[in-house]
Amino acid sequence: MKKDLISIDDLDVAQVNGYLDLAERVAAMPDRGKAALLPGKVLMVMFFEPSTRTRLSFEAAMCRLGGAAIGFTDTQSTSVKKGESFQDTIHTVEQYADVLVIRHPQEGAARLAADISRLPVINAGDGSNQHPTQTLLDLYTIKQFLGRLDGIRIALAGDLKYSRTVHSLFSALRMFPGIEFTLVSPESLRLPAYILNAEAMVSGRSMVSGGTMASGGAKAGGETKESGGRKVTESTDIHEAIRTCDIVYMTRIQKERFPDVVEYEKVKDSYCIRASMLAEAPEHMKILHPLPRVNEIAPDVDGTRFAGYFEQVANGLTVRQAILLDALGVRI
Amino acid sequence: MEMGMDDKNVLLIPKIENGIVIDHIPAGLGPKLLELLLRYPRLRSVALTLGVNYRSTRMGTKDMIKLGTRELPADAQAQISIVAPGVTVKTITDYRVGEKLVLSLPDRMIGLVKCRNPNCITNAERSVETRFTLDGSAESSIGRGKGRAEYRCAHCERVFALAELERILP
Repeated sequence: MKKDLISIDDLDVAQVNGYLDLAERVAAMPDRGKAALLPGKVLMVMFFEPSTRTRLSFEAAMCRLGGAAIGFTDTQSTSVKKGESFQDTIHTVEQYADVLVIRHPQEGAARLAADISRLPVINAGDGSNQHPTQTLLDLYTIKQFLGRLDGIRIALAGDLKYSRTVHSLFSALRMFPGIEFTLVSPESLRLPAYILNAEAMVSGRSMVSGGTMASGGAKAGGETKESGGRKVTESTDIHEAIRTCDIVYMTRIQKERFPDVVEYEKVKDSYCIRASMLAEAPEHMKILHPLPRVNEIAPDVDGTRFAGYFEQVANGLTVRQAILLDALGVRI
Repeated sequence: MEMGMDDKNVLLIPKIENGIVIDHIPAGLGPKLLELLLRYPRLRSVALTLGVNYRSTRMGTKDMIKLGTRELPADAQAQISIVAPGVTVKTITDYRVGEKLVLSLPDRMIGLVKCRNPNCITNAERSVETRFTLDGSAESSIGRGKGRAEYRCAHCERVFALAELERILP
């Protein structure tokens, strides 16, 4: 039975921990050993949307495991431009490879590919739905910094509505006990109800009072709900999150996901973390970001002990190596 | 004059010798089910009777449909279960009621409804069968009312109320 990785919601906590443990074993292996794990195997990289980190880390991961990576990074040079269907494209490329990794602007594309292809399929992001490989490397990074995933206090901030990384991460963290979530966003970019309420965690929306949303604005705390040992607070106040959380996970306000550019313009600079805002942060606190960033984390944060986003980038290679090994049924 | 099943002065719905009775249809939904059934070419030449607003000890009033065939197209039965969960489908042989099947909200719907998310791949690609899974139990969904039953799209993972979803009919 092939091993697809399409959605975090397909996994249970044992499977998530399995990926993290495998990534730790990969990290501990010498490079020479890794280079002998996937000789002759081919990864088909199918990116229908732009990417830097995800695509390059998958390609590097495959190459460093002794395999090869081929594919495309936009559809202009493919027969998709001639009107070829997504399904025909999948049936074509699967003749040339051993595993597919797909990023697509439409939700469900990776799922469809997994349904129709005989090859294992890895979802590198489908519309505003899921980004499971990002989530696994986020969890791996959090565990590296804090030594655990249980009982952490995490703020998810920025574009919670359209951010597939947030959707996947929220779904995954719910599997671990004692998590306290603070959801910080403009009101128009809140986490969608169908994700927030997936386990009936929150009965009715919690409430956020007024106040401005810019980084220097007035405090706007939220009401906390509790369910199943997990607390969820919705807020517009990033300062409080910095003071109280173990992890502050920032996201970009994604212009490309907004159906209306006017709405984007209203919220695009809602949050910006600067080094001067970190004086009261707990010493162990880490700021993470899936990148690319625009304005939401100022460059003067990069040199502080709180910046964890470049370690995230490095961990992406290790975790994606683990994912490829698992997809191809290689045990280490 | 109030119509009733046992009113001597009223012409009753004729009994059928061999066929199907769809019973316990909530009053008012009978015409909608009839319209649905007539979308299936195989049923257009079948003897078919609709009764509306019959008294029912269980429901107060109900509608009923009788068909002169014992074979319902498989997806017709599925469509009935999402339009009117809780109806009873009775098979009639030699004027006698045989098998009775209460149609409940399906746990899964395959190819029955369209996804409401315009950015779902199922709305962009041709001939992709939609798949939806009931979010929660059928019992709790019926308790909340059919319109409140929610289904998750297997592709885009969004959740929609059943009443929001457009049915795929022949």
